[in-house]
Amino acid sequence: MAQDLQPGSIIIPDWHQCAESKDFFSRILYKKKRKQFGLLESPAMAPQAAVDTVQYKVFLSGKNGVGKTSLAARLAGLRIPSMHYETTGIETIVLYWPVKLRESGRVLFFRLQLWDCGENALRRFDHLLPSCKEQVDAVLFLFSFTDRTSFDDLPNQIARWSGPSDRVVKMVVGTKFDLFMHSDVTQREVRQFQETQGLPVLCTGGEVSDGLGDVANFLNGLAERLWHQDCMAATLDRRPTQCREGALI
Amino acid sequence: MMLQDGSTQILCLTAQSGVPLFSRGASKQLPFSVIGSLNGVHMFGDGQGVALSGCQTDCGGRVVWRVFHDSVMLIAVNGGHRSGGVVQGHVKGEELFLERLLENVWNCMVLVLGRDELTGMKNVERLKKDLRSCFGLIDQLLEDGHRGVMGNLTHCADCLLPPDPALVQEAVDGFTRSVDSEFGCLVVRGRIAAATEKWWRLAPQEVVLLSALMRTLSASGSASCDYPVFLPQGSPTVAHRLLRFQLLPGADVCVLCGPAPTLHKAQSDLVRQFWSPLAETLRDCLAVGERCLPAAVILRAPEILALLVVNREARRSVSCVRAGADDSPALPSRPRCWELLRLFYVFAVTRYFGQEEAPAPGAPAEEGADSRSGASGDFVAGLSHQPLQCYLVTEECKCYGLQTPQHQLFLLCPLSVPTFALRNVATQTLSAVTADTGF
Ligand SMILES: Nc1nc2c(ncn2[C@@H]2O[C@H](COP(=O)(O)OP(=O)(O)OP(=O)(O)O)[C@@H](O)[C@H]2O)c(=O)[nH]1
Ligand SMILES: [Mg+2]
Repeated sequence: MAQDLQPGSIIIPDWHQCAESKDFFSRILYKKKRKQFGLLESPAMAPQAAVDTVQYKVFLSGKNGVGKTSLAARLAGLRIPSMHYETTGIETIVLYWPVKLRESGRVLFFRLQLWDCGENALRRFDHLLPSCKEQVDAVLFLFSFTDRTSFDDLPNQIARWSGPSDRVVKMVVGTKFDLFMHSDVTQREVRQFQETQGLPVLCTGGEVSDGLGDVANFLNGLAERLWHQDCMAATLDRRPTQCREGALI
Repeated sequence: MMLQDGSTQILCLTAQSGVPLFSRGASKQLPFSVIGSLNGVHMFGDGQGVALSGCQTDCGGRVVWRVFHDSVMLIAVNGGHRSGGVVQGHVKGEELFLERLLENVWNCMVLVLGRDELTGMKNVERLKKDLRSCFGLIDQLLEDGHRGVMGNLTHCADCLLPPDPALVQEAVDGFTRSVDSEFGCLVVRGRIAAATEKWWRLAPQEVVLLSALMRTLSASGSASCDYPVFLPQGSPTVAHRLLRFQLLPGADVCVLCGPAPTLHKAQSDLVRQFWSPLAETLRDCLAVGERCLPAAVILRAPEILALLVVNREARRSVSCVRAGADDSPALPSRPRCWELLRLFYVFAVTRYFGQEEAPAPGAPAEEGADSRSGASGDFVAGLSHQPLQCYLVTEECKCYGLQTPQHQLFLLCPLSVPTFALRNVATQTLSAVTADTGF
């Protein structure tokens, strides 16, 4: 169902550039950089302008060194590690992202928790993967443009998530797109893959400017699919979408 | 030496065959031939029934060797300081520093991989690959020195004294119990602000190492973690789970626990329940900042460049540099103050005070190792009494050391403080830090 989704059909795509969004985006910025939120914090709006928050758990899957930790940092506006230090357990990153729904004009804060676990740690310790899968809402399958095997392994990885996990948004992310000079994977192969698997593929990489533009497309796309999945689920089993919403403190 | 001034490099080889496993530190790596020779001389000694533990080059470089469990050899190579000075030219001191470093590096390796993996040595190529997962923590240790962390050297945990210790203590205890654990601690700005009683009963090296791990995790900005960790002393072959939650940026709580609860559950059910009411208290802890001492502790700031207070029995320490408002460029910079503080600590404990020794890991009941780094050097051996105070005047600062049965104080003062006043400043500082805080 996800592949039928037209980008921008649910969420207004370039909303961060509109003047009216400024008040919302200013809540996730500090001195023009993305603000860090501890678990006890959240972006606070003025009481009369209170906005609902919806929470999702997103798991990053991919081979050792493809750039899971870097992607999480990039999306949350944190410092991207310049060296590859293996992630030797699970690390999660929380980020907030305001969106405007096209139909109702309603504004929501998406609270995305990205779950990142080093591939070697996953292999060495059996209890980590089940923990990552617990109540997960989306999986991002990462491959790196500079690592052919990570691309070839994708069908395998995706297969492991088929079956009971039909309530999971699945997307593919190509990392290190900036290193196209050393690319091991061609654009054509990516297009082909996209068609056969029926999964959306996003590409990231390169320098980050401080702005929101780098990640807006990515986060809106992810948010849109998560929201869509919830709406579908709600119409199927009348599960109220409200169950994700938490009041802001 | 082929290393830059003052930089330290760690080499790791298999003890049996001398196959290089990794090297860390120093931007310029030592050439392979040098690594081979360093291994060679050690092996030669071994063949003659002599354990080579350390040596010094004529231009102040230093090498320390240590074999762990007959399986891994670690070598620390220090380029030496050309800037010399009384404090730095001190042989015993440099060795203590490097020995501690090797011990910490080995503990890092055990913490991440477990001892079996390191001593099994089934497949060297695989071990080499697996060891990469320790680099993050090892590099953190090598860099800690520049960030005002003393625990790696003192093996006393770096602490921050919160303004309201009872409140945070209660929260840490309660939260730890709620995840079915007895081991929990609150880390503020990389220093322990409160911990459960059991946490303090972990081996001092473990407490220090877990603090280093927390600093690494906290610096990445992640919201929570579930890390498998082996405890180098307490549980070297069975991994525990280290759960860590970033309550506010700079304030993290962590617990060591068994299979339950899952990270997801602990985070969504327990973190807010226990810590939301304490958000303001945590902000107050953060406000203590680099001073590590609550505002209620009043120091004679202009007369103090840096201080380190060690609680000998509890094996905890507080330290800070340039806490005063005086930002005069004539005074040594903050990083330099940290360096001087470390140097003076090493100087004072190796020469006069002796430091409490925790059981060394690695070789079982190694005779030489403990006595070598434990007691003080030849100088003190000639004394019939235990020195209680010492001082040192250098070109950059004046230093004063003071020890009581419970505490040790290491103090640096600007040159402008008259030497005769040092003792007075020192005793007042020690009582200011310890009296009301109960440290
Ligand atoms: N040029 C470029 N480098 C990247 C990009 N993403 C990651 N890297 C680099 O690739 C290396 C590995 O990235 P990590 O994010 O640490 O990899 P990981 O997937 O988390 O690896 P494990 O934790 O070991 O499973 C690092 O040196 C990053 O700097 C990218 O988009 N562009
Ligand atoms: Mg990683």
